[in-house]
Amino acid sequence: MTKRKMFLRMITASLLRRRSRMLIALLSIAVGATILSGLVTIYYDVPRQMGAQFRSYGANMILLPEGNSTLTMDTLDTALKTIPEENVVGATPYRYVRLDMPSRQQSFTSAGTDFSQVQKTSPYFSVDGEYPEKTRQVLVGKEIADTIGVKVGSSMELSYKNTAVSSQEASGDWVPGASLTGSAEGFNEAVLTVNVTLDENAAIESIEIDASSQTENIGALVGTDPVYLKQFIGKTLPLDGEDIDALAGATISSQAVVDAVNTARSTENAVARENTERFEVTGILSTGGEEESYIYMALEDLQKLTGEEILDVAELSVSAGAEELEEYSNSITGAGLGISSRLVKRVTKSEASVLGKLQALVFLVTVVVLLLTMICVSTTMMAVVSERRREIGLRKALGASDGSIRKEFLGEGMFLGGLGGLLGAVLGFVFAQVVSINVFGSSINFQPLLLPVTVIVSMAIAAVSCQLPIKRAVAIDPAIVLKGE
Amino acid sequence: MALLELKNISKIYGELKALDNVSIKVEKGEWVAIMGPSGSGKSTMMNIIGCMDKPSMGEVLLDGVDISKESQKKLTDIRRDKIGLIFQQFHMVTYLTAVENVMVSQYYHSMPDEEEALEALGRVGLRERAKHLPSQLSGGEQQRVCVARALINHPELILADEPTGNLDEANENIVLDLFRQLHNEGTTLIVVTHDPEVAEAAQRTIVLEHGRVAREVINENFGK
Ligand SMILES: Nc1ncnc2c1ncn2[C@@H]1O[C@H](COP(=O)(O)OP(=O)(O)OP(=O)(O)O)[C@@H](O)[C@H]1O
Ligand SMILES: [Mg+2]
Repeated sequence: MTKRKMFLRMITASLLRRRSRMLIALLSIAVGATILSGLVTIYYDVPRQMGAQFRSYGANMILLPEGNSTLTMDTLDTALKTIPEENVVGATPYRYVRLDMPSRQQSFTSAGTDFSQVQKTSPYFSVDGEYPEKTRQVLVGKEIADTIGVKVGSSMELSYKNTAVSSQEASGDWVPGASLTGSAEGFNEAVLTVNVTLDENAAIESIEIDASSQTENIGALVGTDPVYLKQFIGKTLPLDGEDIDALAGATISSQAVVDAVNTARSTENAVARENTERFEVTGILSTGGEEESYIYMALEDLQKLTGEEILDVAELSVSAGAEELEEYSNSITGAGLGISSRLVKRVTKSEASVLGKLQALVFLVTVVVLLLTMICVSTTMMAVVSERRREIGLRKALGASDGSIRKEFLGEGMFLGGLGGLLGAVLGFVFAQVVSINVFGSSINFQPLLLPVTVIVSMAIAAVSCQLPIKRAVAIDPAIVLKGE
Repeated sequence: MALLELKNISKIYGELKALDNVSIKVEKGEWVAIMGPSGSGKSTMMNIIGCMDKPSMGEVLLDGVDISKESQKKLTDIRRDKIGLIFQQFHMVTYLTAVENVMVSQYYHSMPDEEEALEALGRVGLRERAKHLPSQLSGGEQQRVCVARALINHPELILADEPTGNLDEANENIVLDLFRQLHNEGTTLIVVTHDPEVAEAAQRTIVLEHGRVAREVINENFGK
């Protein structure tokens, strides 16, 4: 039998046959290791957990088209690829367009979006009813719902008119004999429409203006004032604002008429540009903010109405530390996709500071627990040494050197440390899991690296805790054996 | 040359002279008994011979080496290599079996060898009890294990402090027989005892009184 075998045999015999005392030391190490590994798990998981918590305050990254480029679902998807997928809590596209509600002759800002993502990036949205799930369903802001009196289950017709046609586009329709129709926003964003017919020289032959949406007896007069209307006859397109004298007191409405004429398209085309669709209201949205004055629908529905695929903005909720977030943002902006990213600083800053404090607290508690464990193990080992005074004296009398005594106690201590550490690593994960589920409401991932780390740290703690008891043991006088104490 | 020679040693605890100018010589292979009333300094002397204590004054020559001047570490080495110890209270490691207790002595000396340890137990008649813990052995059996442990490394000198103090007649005889065997093999024995019968088994008896050698008695009947 080798010396090492005998060494192990003595240590295990000591631990196994003197169970009760060793159990206390083992328990104190296991408890310490449990708290250690549990808190370290939480320490490293807290950013993720807290991140998820903070994500409930909404998006922390905004993507916008840069310069003349356009943002589409395709470019958005490409941009998202620069961020690790598991960090993206949600990415919501938005397209804002004004839609008319013909039945009330009013227009509202409508947003086309992806409702499954909305619920992730704007968790604070409070919906009375349901989020739309099918096509031709809308979520109506509370403010609008109150003004027009819609409820969950009612239906509403929304139509899209392309008022913002560029003059170049319109000019293609300025042919002799054409009949043109156009519209533009006048006073208070209310839309007025014009109908123009062109003569054989493509000059204006007649003009009809529907300005009923404008202020009565002021702006509305542009539709009826003969002197004002007469100015248009014989003019060629496009009109120069200076060619037409504005009606007194109705500058805005007058300008709207000029804009409407200049963007007017041939009747056939213009009609093709007007789409109407009936929508079912599935929910009323309250947020306490401007969202209450929007109508939300699926992006596909809006794209069908407008015939356009572009997006105005994308809101991202990304779970990451402040520095990482900055990095992601820069990489998106720098990816050459024509997308510029900016961070919602208010959210990310408070996130970082709360996290820092929390981690400092966890760190402090861990240190205190480790100190307490050391004291406890040290005290227990001290008791063990005085309990085994005679045995230690005997070993010395039999020829054990100070070194062997030191080695034997250290061996026992480290064995306990390793066993306690193993126990603690497992219990610690359970502990962290329970804390995580109760505090953050989500489970955590087991960190395989934590197992060896906990065991090694526990062994180191046991070794340090044993130093004083070992000093005591080494100092024991072998003569006590002969004295028969 | 004598195996052991104490030259004018004294051990002083404050006012008390536990040993007072003691000189003794023990030849190689000799069997010496030490007697004396309680407190006369027998154990103090054994501690000094056993390299577990140092005299306040005087020289202790073991195999010609003055151990009163050696370092603690050196003393441990000498004790391990040359001396086998047997105590009045059969000191065993409580959580180790009989054979493991014997092996502990081998472990510190050289190499643990279970077969050899079992043989030693066989010599004291306890081979079948090898796997028993001390709590499962009687006092006499425990003392026999201690004898086996003392002789396992073949020491030149065996020191026994009241080896039979807690034993009955039968066990006392077993231990004395073992001593006789060891003596015949040439081992030097120094046995502290209160028991005249045990003392008579030795070649020579040294009587201590108040830390001094009161007298020495040669056992005329030795070997008969
Ligand atoms: N460490 C010590 N400090 C002070 N006095 C001591 C110490 N060790 C022993 N003595 C004293 O020295 C004297 C001799 O003690 P020792 O143990 O040698 O006696 P002994 O002959 O073995 O007695 P016993 O037969 O009772 O075992 C005693 O009076 C004892 O009280
Ligand atoms: Mg004594």
